[in-house]
Amino acid sequence: MSTSHRYRTPALAALAAASVLVMAGCSGSTGGAASPAAPGEPVSGGELTVEFWPDNAAFSCVDPFQTYWIEHRQVIRNVADSLTDQDPQTGEIVPWLATDWEVSADGLTYRFDLRDDVTFSDGTAFTADSVVLALESAKATLAAVPGAYGGVYISGYASSTAVDDDTVEVRFSTPNASFLQGTSTTNLAILAASSYEATPEERCLGEVVGSGPFVLDDYTPAEGIDLSKRAGYAWASELNDHQGEAYLDAVHINYVAEDSVRVGNLASGASDIAWPRNPFTPEDRALLESSGATIESRSLPGPSQAYYPNVSNGHPLAEKAVRDALQIAIDRETYAATIYGPEYPVVEGAFDTTTPFFVSQADQLAYDPDRAGEILDAAGWVLEDGAEYRSRDGQTLTLVSPITAETPGDVLIQDQLKQVGIDLELTVYQPADRAAIIANGDYDLLATYYTRADPGVLAWILDERYAGSKAFAKNAQTAETAAEVQRLFDAGLQETDATVRGDIYAELQELLIADGVSFPIFERVQVAATAPEVSGFRFTSESFLSYYDIWKSAE
Amino acid sequence: MTRYVLQRVGQAVLVLWAAYTVTFVILYLLPGDPVALMLSANNIEVDSLTPQEREVAAARLGLDRPLWEQYLGMLGAALRGDFGTSFTKGIPVTELLAQRLPGTFLLSAVAIALALALGLAIALVAVWLPRGRMADLFRRAPAIGVSVPNFWIGLLLIQVFAFTLGWFPAMGSEGWQSLVLPAVTMAIPTAAVLAQVLTRSFDDTLGESYIATARAKGLDRWAVLIRHALRNAALPTLTILGLLVGATVTGSIVVETVFSRNGVGRLAQESVLSQDIPVVQAIVVLAAAAFVVVNLVVDLLYPLLDPRIARTPRVSRA
Repeated sequence: MSTSHRYRTPALAALAAASVLVMAGCSGSTGGAASPAAPGEPVSGGELTVEFWPDNAAFSCVDPFQTYWIEHRQVIRNVADSLTDQDPQTGEIVPWLATDWEVSADGLTYRFDLRDDVTFSDGTAFTADSVVLALESAKATLAAVPGAYGGVYISGYASSTAVDDDTVEVRFSTPNASFLQGTSTTNLAILAASSYEATPEERCLGEVVGSGPFVLDDYTPAEGIDLSKRAGYAWASELNDHQGEAYLDAVHINYVAEDSVRVGNLASGASDIAWPRNPFTPEDRALLESSGATIESRSLPGPSQAYYPNVSNGHPLAEKAVRDALQIAIDRETYAATIYGPEYPVVEGAFDTTTPFFVSQADQLAYDPDRAGEILDAAGWVLEDGAEYRSRDGQTLTLVSPITAETPGDVLIQDQLKQVGIDLELTVYQPADRAAIIANGDYDLLATYYTRADPGVLAWILDERYAGSKAFAKNAQTAETAAEVQRLFDAGLQETDATVRGDIYAELQELLIADGVSFPIFERVQVAATAPEVSGFRFTSESFLSYYDIWKSAE
Repeated sequence: MTRYVLQRVGQAVLVLWAAYTVTFVILYLLPGDPVALMLSANNIEVDSLTPQEREVAAARLGLDRPLWEQYLGMLGAALRGDFGTSFTKGIPVTELLAQRLPGTFLLSAVAIALALALGLAIALVAVWLPRGRMADLFRRAPAIGVSVPNFWIGLLLIQVFAFTLGWFPAMGSEGWQSLVLPAVTMAIPTAAVLAQVLTRSFDDTLGESYIATARAKGLDRWAVLIRHALRNAALPTLTILGLLVGATVTGSIVVETVFSRNGVGRLAQESVLSQDIPVVQAIVVLAAAAFVVVNLVVDLLYPLLDPRIARTPRVSRA
């Protein structure tokens, strides 16, 4: 008990500061090279060593279209360019390989004007045909490799044609308003023809030739990736701090499983950037800062880390009252402060703050254990004398939450829910069992997340028609709510007017919290530590790492 | 002797086949299918695929045929040295092993050599020292080495020798420097076991009458230990050599993860978790082969160390 409340007061005090920090984090990162620690003019040369969380052991793949793993996608971001880029701060789509675009009134046709001075690193030219080939290959890959991750980005894609050398037209059979944002993502990066001659498996293992500022020299699964500078690169998007070639001669990426080794290597000067999957612990942070490292952070756009309920018949969360109580029985401020430290931002809604069209639902998520207790009392879930947990008709109010490994966060929430008489039962499962647990509905709360700078991506979790798991989407909401959610997703996907889209997604976010479809737990903040001699760090809109502006001061 | 060797080789083949088959059965008994696992790792659950898509996905991995057909097909190919293609990495398994084996083999060899040297040294000093505090220390220290987890030793060594002193890299597979810390990490528990076994058998041997004879001849403590006791005390050590090889296989999983080394140990762990059947099968056969070979070598070495063993069969046959 004392642990969960120890940080309450400082957390409250830091609340305002924290939300400011998030904003500062975004603007700081778009500011690019203005890292105050390292003054002076950028210098060319030098090699960068980056240490990542391990790559995907179950699917070693650096093909942008097929891969989901963040540690792969962000390397590709530096190797292959996309048609457009997205401003991390405003969410605005800006030119990159495409200089201009036009969307037809019915939302079915996209016409892109392309740059005519771009070449791939194998020397071939980038033309309208390159775009057609990329999209057609994406379609073919999806047929050959069912479930290929990029499928979500080209939902509804019909065909494309090269109008002339530098104009391409992309047609959809059903509107896909997220497509424009999709063209800015790594997953729809355009590769050279030679890459598409390779099989999907060969592409996974590194047959990836792009037009980016770096060239992929070698990918060794589980070990690392080597990149070298692309000579003559001259088509960076305007979001970067400079134009022309990258500053670094080479980048070496290592996959390091142990957090302590990654942190220790950076602190002792053996590497330049440490990039963990989860935010640094307060202790690691202190160690890094004492060694002169700079900590960079930006929330990963897309759905926040959240529990999604199982509301099917017979499960306690089928009852609206229980969902209402649960929503306010989670103390998110304490969670952020206790698990990740006092400056950590508190989650404010179904999406992370960096998601375009984000609307804060902080009021509805405010911790109110007394009110939660009243709601449950009224619903007949009462705390018998001397009982630890609430019950009704002899049934204990138990919520089963399967996890792969127990974390302090799980235990903290378990403790918080116990305060209002809800029994959160943490059951540990093997990754192999997840599909079966979902299909059989053997859970009440199951956590998941997603990364993409577009709110429509939540359809991939909650819309049965597109979802990565149909059962998961179906279980998470009542039939009426599902219909409403789908209507809003459709409206959002078909609406190309940004203001109207904003209203639609605001309504969606309100609904998800009010109806208890999403129970946000924490803001997914991507952190990284950089060594003192590293300047020009920049987060992309996907909260990936751009090596392009980075330079190392000689020491 | 020829018949003895043939018999042992026959047994070895049987062991390999059994290992292969049992692994196959176990992997198929595990919950969840590899297709679902691979999709899960890509943030997609198998229930989102249409039945046709599911068939395509299964066919890509060769999982669309009946079980017995898959088994016979894989076994037949394995006999020809073809272990198929990794589900998760898309590389032929033999190629994958060729990439990963040398690193682990080198690491294990160095670790075993270190462990032998260290274990022997501790045991010799322990029995050589006259009874007292120092002797107790050397007799008890191995118990610590056995009980401390591998990853903890590794992280401790990294803290001291990589981060603080900067003598060796904390990770990677390049250069002999990167081999030092992982090899020491792996050697410590093995050396501890060896030291325990050796100390015990020295104690037993030193109670034998021929040692008393040697002492009576006026040899000093050290000479008695080296010239007379060592050879006999080494026999039990040889017996557990096979187990030591096994220990380095499991040890390499932890050590390769902690030190970010690209080896077979980590490959084994990843492949089991992702039910990468072809890779697991190949590794199991490989590990079984290593066991079999080591034990065969041990059996053939016995007679050299203890001539009585070689003579025994002849006597019984007559």
